[in-house]
Amino acid sequence: MIYLFQVLNGIGLGMLYFLLAVGLSVIFGLLQFVNFAHGAFYLLGAYLTYDLTMRGFSFWAAMPLATLIVAGIAALIEALLLHRIYKLPHTFHILVTVGLALVVQELVIIAWGPLGGSVPAPEGLQGVVILGDFIYPQYRLFTIGFTAVLAGLLWWLLEGTRLGAIVRGGSELPSNMALLGYNTLRINTAVFGFGAGLAGLAGALAAPIRGVEPFMGIEALSVAFVVVVIGGMGSYTGALVAGLLVGVVQSVMTTLWPEGARLMIYVGMALVIALMPRGLLGRA
Amino acid sequence: MNPLDKPYAQLALAVLAVLVLPLFLKSGILATEILIFAMVVAACNLLLGYTGLLSFGQGIFFGIGTYAAGICLTRWQIPVPVVLASAAVLGAATATLVGWLSIRRQGVYFVMLTLAFSQLFYFVAYTFSGVTGGDNGLLGVPRPSVGGTALNAPWSYYTYVAVCFVAVFAILVMVTQSTFGRTLLAIRENEGRAAAIGFPTKLFKLEAFAISGAVTAFGGALHAMLIGVAPLSNIEYHTSELILIMTIIGGSSSLFGSVLGAGFYLLLADALSTVWPRWLLLLGLVLVTVALFLQRGLWGLVERGYDLVFRRERAPETPAEEH
Amino acid sequence: MLNRRRFLTTSTLAAASLAAPGLVTRALAQGEALKIGVPVPISGAFAANGKFATIGALLAAEEVAAAHGVQVSTLDLDTEGKPATAVRKVQDALAQDGVKLFAGGILSSESLAMGKEVERGGGAFMTTAGADEITGVDCNRATFRWSVPTYGAINETVRPIIDALPDAKKWYTITPQYVFGDGLLNAAKDVFQEKGIEHVGNSYHSLTDKEFSGYLTNAIAAQPDVLLLLNFGAQSSDTLRQAVSFGLKQRMTIVVAWASGLEQFEALGPDICEGVYFGAQYWHGADSALNRELVAKVQEKHGFNPNYSFAGSYICSKLLLEAAVKAGSPDGAGIAAALNGLKYQGLTGEEEIRAADHQVIKDYYLLKGKAKADMADKDDYAEIISAGKSFLSPEDAGCAMPA
Repeated sequence: MIYLFQVLNGIGLGMLYFLLAVGLSVIFGLLQFVNFAHGAFYLLGAYLTYDLTMRGFSFWAAMPLATLIVAGIAALIEALLLHRIYKLPHTFHILVTVGLALVVQELVIIAWGPLGGSVPAPEGLQGVVILGDFIYPQYRLFTIGFTAVLAGLLWWLLEGTRLGAIVRGGSELPSNMALLGYNTLRINTAVFGFGAGLAGLAGALAAPIRGVEPFMGIEALSVAFVVVVIGGMGSYTGALVAGLLVGVVQSVMTTLWPEGARLMIYVGMALVIALMPRGLLGRA
Repeated sequence: MNPLDKPYAQLALAVLAVLVLPLFLKSGILATEILIFAMVVAACNLLLGYTGLLSFGQGIFFGIGTYAAGICLTRWQIPVPVVLASAAVLGAATATLVGWLSIRRQGVYFVMLTLAFSQLFYFVAYTFSGVTGGDNGLLGVPRPSVGGTALNAPWSYYTYVAVCFVAVFAILVMVTQSTFGRTLLAIRENEGRAAAIGFPTKLFKLEAFAISGAVTAFGGALHAMLIGVAPLSNIEYHTSELILIMTIIGGSSSLFGSVLGAGFYLLLADALSTVWPRWLLLLGLVLVTVALFLQRGLWGLVERGYDLVFRRERAPETPAEEH
Repeated sequence: MLNRRRFLTTSTLAAASLAAPGLVTRALAQGEALKIGVPVPISGAFAANGKFATIGALLAAEEVAAAHGVQVSTLDLDTEGKPATAVRKVQDALAQDGVKLFAGGILSSESLAMGKEVERGGGAFMTTAGADEITGVDCNRATFRWSVPTYGAINETVRPIIDALPDAKKWYTITPQYVFGDGLLNAAKDVFQEKGIEHVGNSYHSLTDKEFSGYLTNAIAAQPDVLLLLNFGAQSSDTLRQAVSFGLKQRMTIVVAWASGLEQFEALGPDICEGVYFGAQYWHGADSALNRELVAKVQEKHGFNPNYSFAGSYICSKLLLEAAVKAGSPDGAGIAAALNGLKYQGLTGEEEIRAADHQVIKDYYLLKGKAKADMADKDDYAEIISAGKSFLSPEDAGCAMPA
């Protein structure tokens, strides 16, 4: 019974992990760009939600607003800075994005202080659902449903629309896209903003669960990397499957063998790369 | 080729750095730390600059060396030279293992795999606290003794480390100048061709990993003796990141660039952190600047400066090298 | 050229020295300034603590300078929360700047390492860090500790709650897996056994965990009456926040044994803190003469209430500086002689420095979060339920003080 419940809880975690990772995965898939600043966008999304709700906005207004602001900032950074370095070796991607992540983290501390804070769950979702002996917060249930709908939308967007085809086409042969008359530069900017916006949204959704603190981006980044590597870079389905897998494993391990929970996740990640180099569902 | 890139020039610069540091720095501890990181960063450069391997796992080997020194010196009374040698052997062994598993993948997957290993080793060190001291670390690591006196004064230990540094640096220069080193460069430029000629490229990469791991662990052991403790933070992912950042800042086309990278980073961090608590913001800006405008790192700057002064006509800009 | 360390020097007016010449028992050499290093995390994940600690130390320096007519300088040393950096800066301060007194060290790992280093350098170090080893197996002549060890923290929180809630027979614990967490856990198990409490389960987690829903699910399954959180800092805030969202506050009593007080309440907000029990080393509402004086002074000067980081740094700096004035020198041996066995009126009332292990014997507080409506001002998050002193003997704590 408890395992059943841990699996449910793990799905809740996993959906957030998916949201966090899919943006990173899309950015990598299209731009072949290693983004160590992804966690910083998650951090920013959470803090903007915190700030807006403190100013009296309802969570339902704050969440989309925070997402859009993060996406806008990210697109701006891409257009001004990042597009210059795509052609450079990965070393420089890492250097720039590690630098950016530091800048964002310190700016957050300057703007909101080093202590962090709590974001209340939105009105109407503050209670809990009781299932026999078990309890689950309504807000967490809501995030599962919400991200599931979102996952469906994303799937349609990436696999079923022209836009998705363009994005995928761009990732496979950028020069072809230019020949076909698409402005790859503008597509790149949009995709980067979109991916970062998803991280911002994950942050906004996580804020009522986790609260906010300036170092939450670092943890989010390492989770996102694990999910993307296990799922396969650039793969939407991979991010979903791996996100759920990591969430469920983490949750079940807390009952089975809590001391080794983290260790197992990284052992699993190393095994996957060693045995299935493209990840579970990565494109070859 | 720039005359500064010649092996003897590189070695001369390293010796010069050892002699100059005491003149400019008041802190012997900081100077010693610079030399330790300089050799560790040069070892990372052997992978990045000479083999084209972007390793996020250097912190593993640094931590292994730290723990080797911590355990050997606090639990058993093993002579320091033996400790340093065994740290290097242990580092080489670990690096061979990590390298053997990682070099089977290329590009970003290689980077991610080394990153996964660095997390893995951190959690191993954290979980087996009976051996490593866990979060508290291993306390009371003594300094080495020479002729019966412990090198407790900062500058006397500096001298000890300086001798080690010059020796290690000379070895690394020799490695890069040897047939082995030239083959590594060939592999970096075009692995397919090197393999076609008949070089066992994987074996060469593995050997580069082993040498790099040995030097890094050696540096980790020296570091434990410097600060008197073997802390968990030495095996953290952040240490790997730090070493990598220093390598890129210094420039990956020259071993001495790594010395510059280590020195620049540590001095900058030391100076900035006393000026402004939010100094990491400035550091972030520095990293972005280096990536945008200084792709050959500080060493590229040195080369350009040298050209400007000694050769009036400037060679055309060389593009950043592919890794 | 590369010596940009900044000393903040507090000089006194000539009038002040004339006013109280007799207080200096053995005069420090003419014109010699007392220097105190404040090694705390000013950048990095624990930056919030470091910021308040540096202001607290500065206030102590000003007071001692004014009271005794000496020059006192404080030197902020940013440890970045890393033992390696902490040790390097302490070594530098000892060797280059001639600093012998150090008040700070918020994290266990950095404090243990710095304590050894200060002893080697012949100085004195006073800290508020949590690890029992500081005044236990790793105790040394140079290191003093103001904060109550895990044994006292548990006994002053768990016992009063057991007495107050006689029907709460089943307790569940959530513990970070390392020496400090185990210290709290073992102390709690001893109390449970003695009081006939059923310990219905424990979840260990790692120091990097931020997601506690899995552990809370374990706790729910065990159906305890009391949930005892043995983690600290951001992790205990995360656990508590998530426990409240699981509605556990309505189902069981929640206790945070090692809370950091005001800083933590500010991050959590009153809604989460209401009705939760917190163990704390310091609370600005504590009723003692020195504390009332400190609160008034800090309010007047800075416009906020002193928190634990501030108060801990203040009292450690003050004790060290007073000892240096009394001994006439900042050397470790003199400081130890002046501090050992010292009884004084401190922030928590009567405090005493135990000579055998250099542990300060002081009160530990049990607080209970107030409802937002009952808060008299914005910092009035909690009321003091009880306070008391519980300490292991130096032998039981494992300290064999080197002669």
